[in-house]
Amino acid sequence: MGNSSAPHVLVIGAGSTGSATAHDLALRGLRVTVVERGEIASGTTGRNHCLLHSGGRYCVNDKEGATECIEENLILRRIMPHALEMNDGLFVALDEEDYAFKEKFLAGCEECHIPAREISVADALKLEPFLNPNIKAAVQVPDGVFEPWRFCTSFLATAKRNGATIHNFTEVTDLVFQGSAVAGVKVFKHRTGKTETIGADLIVNATGAWAGTVAAMAKVDVPVVPTAGVMVTLGKRFNNMVINRMHKPHDGDIVVPVRNTSIIGTTSWRVTKPDAIEIPQDQIDKMMQAGELLMPVLKEGRQRGVMAVARPLIASANVDARDFSRTFEAFNHRKQGGAAGVITILGGKTTTARGMAEKVSDEVCAELGVTAVCKTRETPLASYRMFYN
Amino acid sequence: MALNVTLKIFRYRPNQPARCDTFDVTVPDAANVLDAIEQAWDKHDRDLMFRHACHHASCGTCAVRINGREKLPCIAPVRDYLDGGKPITIEPLRNFPIVGDLVVDVTGLFQRQEATGFVITRPTEDSLDGKRVDHTQCLAPASAAIVPFNRFENCVECGICLSACPTMAADDKFFGPAGLAAIQREVDKTDDPNARARLLDLADDEQGVWRCHSAWECTEACPQNVNPAEAIMDLRKQITARRFKKLFAR
Repeated sequence: MGNSSAPHVLVIGAGSTGSATAHDLALRGLRVTVVERGEIASGTTGRNHCLLHSGGRYCVNDKEGATECIEENLILRRIMPHALEMNDGLFVALDEEDYAFKEKFLAGCEECHIPAREISVADALKLEPFLNPNIKAAVQVPDGVFEPWRFCTSFLATAKRNGATIHNFTEVTDLVFQGSAVAGVKVFKHRTGKTETIGADLIVNATGAWAGTVAAMAKVDVPVVPTAGVMVTLGKRFNNMVINRMHKPHDGDIVVPVRNTSIIGTTSWRVTKPDAIEIPQDQIDKMMQAGELLMPVLKEGRQRGVMAVARPLIASANVDARDFSRTFEAFNHRKQGGAAGVITILGGKTTTARGMAEKVSDEVCAELGVTAVCKTRETPLASYRMFYN
Repeated sequence: MALNVTLKIFRYRPNQPARCDTFDVTVPDAANVLDAIEQAWDKHDRDLMFRHACHHASCGTCAVRINGREKLPCIAPVRDYLDGGKPITIEPLRNFPIVGDLVVDVTGLFQRQEATGFVITRPTEDSLDGKRVDHTQCLAPASAAIVPFNRFENCVECGICLSACPTMAADDKFFGPAGLAAIQREVDKTDDPNARARLLDLADDEQGVWRCHSAWECTEACPQNVNPAEAIMDLRKQITARRFKKLFAR
């Protein structure tokens, strides 16, 4: 079980961020325990669009988020190649306005170091026969696809191999204070019905859209804005590559193929409570209409499932949620005059989970006086199935 | 439009008697049974244990029995189960140890899958519209190599075929339909005669392909059209052919 004299870090949440953080900290030689209230990836990460971002989607309006995406995209291709569909993506212009956006898009890709090449409309249609035949232009970028649960279990399997302990169906009910500092958590174990206390030298709040709940227990504030999005999955796969509309991110402007389905996404609205979000029918209809502009065939596709979940966006003043940066940040609450012993990691995307883990783990190590450096960039992950070993 | 439904959910914790609880929930018209289970958890009982992640039949975690049949509730529309207000019964998979409520321990399944070396991605074989597509066009930014399009395998390792299998019910040492289908996929994918021989050895066991009673329940229940039963029959043919070859090679 790792080095028994090493500091003990407790990670709350086993979505992509918590799973990658457990891996990073365990690799640095710390003792790590993960607690997750339900199944692995049962929150935001699970109900994901599954898009391994190239950064193309953000390269014009959110260069910081876009640069993080391409850096992490290339790292994930190295460390979890067997858990990815790596088929690239196409950004296509549907009308003159989109076409006029193309120069900005290509310039944005170049500036963010996203490999991009324009291909002829004829070639695009040869590669993707179900594309709207009236597209005006197509640019190929290294988008990809992951499967969210295996994404998380790959990180957790590797963390376990390095001594981490993972408790799912274990819900944090309160924090334990020693003086004004947080020194552990109280958990309810759903398997046994028992309440236990787990002590820790430091706690990482990796609960994403639920970060406010844990922060409230620590009597601190976090600037999280749970922002829901709807996705519709179809009964058939209609594309090999990710199909994006070449313009500023909008509703229904992306079709991600996964396994034997295509997923149309997505919308964006603020929610107050991130659990069990109810999906308005008009959102589904709106998405289908927008998706059919990209690929007219989608109207023949049987709807197989509909899902909605909240993104853990970081608020910025006077900006609409759709335009919030997709970047991430670690909040050491002690430094902000709040309780010591808790660090919240917020924002980001599943694509950037490893980078988020590196950032929060750096902060954890600085706080604990540990000098170990991050090694996750070059460490291949274990098979996700080893989570069950 | 909203649907009002009653769920009758199996409840269990170790060392306690099993029971069923009923929950009345309201879900949107487009909801699947998994959404109804999540509503029961959210609105009525936060101690209800169930597995779920992707909500689109890709992770395989949510598999349960709905009215006695193995299903992925994430793609089972509630409106298909509106039977004059009768409750919808939700139970855990069979042939797995129960952890609590609808959660089963899938450790054995994943260990067997790992033993097969089953890779969850494969090159795409089928064109999308019936026409051949030249899929040697990927940008492959991380290398100069040209790679074909790939995709995840159909099998989501949900355990439904193991729950539906009568042989599995009689003998938990049986390798099981998912694992044997995985072996057959890998045999298909490999060009390496040693790898092929190792895979066939794994299947050629009294707890392997020869244990199957050909009930075809796995194929019937599979939500992803994997057809494990046919895979088992194909492995039997290949193993038999290999035996004949060995016989005549002497």
